[in-house]
Amino acid sequence: MSRAVRVLPVTGRLLLATVWRMSVALPQIHMQQLMLRYPTGKTAISGVTLDIPQGQFVYLVGESGAGKSSLMRMLYGGVRPSSGRLMVQGSDMRRAGDAKVRELRRHTGIIFQDHRLLFARTVFENVALPLRVQGWKTERLVPRVRKVLAYVGLADRLWSYPEALSGGEQQRVAIARAMTANPAMIIADEPTGNLDIDTARRVLDYLTDLNRQGTTIIMATHDLHLLESHPGRVVELHAGRLIADSYSAQPKSDT
Amino acid sequence: MKQRLFHKREPGREQIPEQMNPRLPGGFHLPPFGVHQLLAVIIVCIALWAIGVIWLSMQAASQWVGSWQDDIRIHVYLDPQGADKGRETALKQQLAEIDQIASVRRIPPEEAARWMQQWLKDAALSEHELAARLPITFELTLSDQESEFLFDDIRDVAEAAGAQVNEDEVGLAQAHHWIAQADYLAWFASLILALAMALIISNTLRMTLLARADEIHLMRLMGAKEWFVRMPFILEGMVLGAGAGVAAWLLLWPMVWVTGGWFAAMEIDVNNWLLLLPLLFGGALVGALGALVATANVVASEAGS
Repeated sequence: MSRAVRVLPVTGRLLLATVWRMSVALPQIHMQQLMLRYPTGKTAISGVTLDIPQGQFVYLVGESGAGKSSLMRMLYGGVRPSSGRLMVQGSDMRRAGDAKVRELRRHTGIIFQDHRLLFARTVFENVALPLRVQGWKTERLVPRVRKVLAYVGLADRLWSYPEALSGGEQQRVAIARAMTANPAMIIADEPTGNLDIDTARRVLDYLTDLNRQGTTIIMATHDLHLLESHPGRVVELHAGRLIADSYSAQPKSDT
Repeated sequence: MKQRLFHKREPGREQIPEQMNPRLPGGFHLPPFGVHQLLAVIIVCIALWAIGVIWLSMQAASQWVGSWQDDIRIHVYLDPQGADKGRETALKQQLAEIDQIASVRRIPPEEAARWMQQWLKDAALSEHELAARLPITFELTLSDQESEFLFDDIRDVAEAAGAQVNEDEVGLAQAHHWIAQADYLAWFASLILALAMALIISNTLRMTLLARADEIHLMRLMGAKEWFVRMPFILEGMVLGAGAGVAAWLLLWPMVWVTGGWFAAMEIDVNNWLLLLPLLFGGALVGALGALVATANVVASEAGS
């Protein structure tokens, strides 16, 4: 125990210990009887109960329309749960205000299947966007962006435009953009969907490496063959329900 | 060779190639200007120029009216047929009792006849005969022609004595009323044109916003605050409006020069410099208003993204 902590009064130490225990014990994502119904009446997620601790690599699998994307949208506040409980990084996503959601998004990297790069802007401008949103000055951005691009092997493409890059390189730029703000969690919605097997494996290598460094990765995918080379926790959804979870090694539906 | 391509920056800081000018979105960074923006500047400039012309005209009209309004005299005529000396004196006295009349002068018939001769360009009429036919004339000098019931009071007194008031002179003396009404109209026209300009800028920015919808959506997904997303568009609206305002002001100068000789003959000196700040800040204001309208729509349609 550090000297600073030792000099705290007993109640202070107790409080500190409780907070520390809670931060360790609480999963990064906690879902309890989670339900999402769109205004059209379609139920996208129904009765999902799931805990994801910090640092896990979670694959969300299931057929199209199973609710993978809806579940991921809820994780970054894109849609609010209709009922149940969803805690993400300590925030209750049903009650979180706009400021809280914004704060959460700043600590979350998002990767899309179509990578959603801005084609009128350079690779630098694309990758710098999350930090720019956080108020970083241009001079500080350049070394950070260069470092991140070097990590995904694109250091020499800093001033290129995305249209000059291949599909795999574009997805690597999207990964760089997602990791540039050093997020605690990366949500990837079928990031390998449009890539050939080798390129997809390389993209997954980067995500696995980030996961090893402590980042939680939640990735929706149809490419089940990737699970052999890059193992992780597999959560399977069907018609909005959780039907399998390799973490608990048994079906975990609440219906 | 490579070194020459870089800006000199602080030691330890990464360098940005000279040919690269990072255009990072959001915050106080202005988006790039394109054809749409140029067209909006031209249209708003024309509208602001029209507003400038209206207010320059108001300035000239107000100076012109002010130049002769103080010298206006009102004349009251009494028919000499059947008018005795007592009625004439009573009329003069009653007119003099009106508070806003500084003085009442009975114009001698000879003076009136002389003036008539001059007005008729020395028609060689018999002055004596003319003087006998002219009405008894009182000349009223006014101390406050803007008083609300002054001319009604004069008319009442004149009618009671069977006299007539020169209504053309009353009309000229009341020119400040016309100017005041024209002033309201000028404000109304300016307001309508300002609304039109705000809508034009709003529409231009709406196109820009649609073109950058992906960028805005991404910034929101990354946790950007609303002001951060909106600020570039509000700045763009302000710059468009202010730029159009300055251009409109510059385009007013040829009009001032062309009409300069004409105005000088009427002893009118219009000051175009007075319009610079109103056009500059007015343009920026309508631009900001248009941007707020445009971004409000986007915020509403993207809520929950």
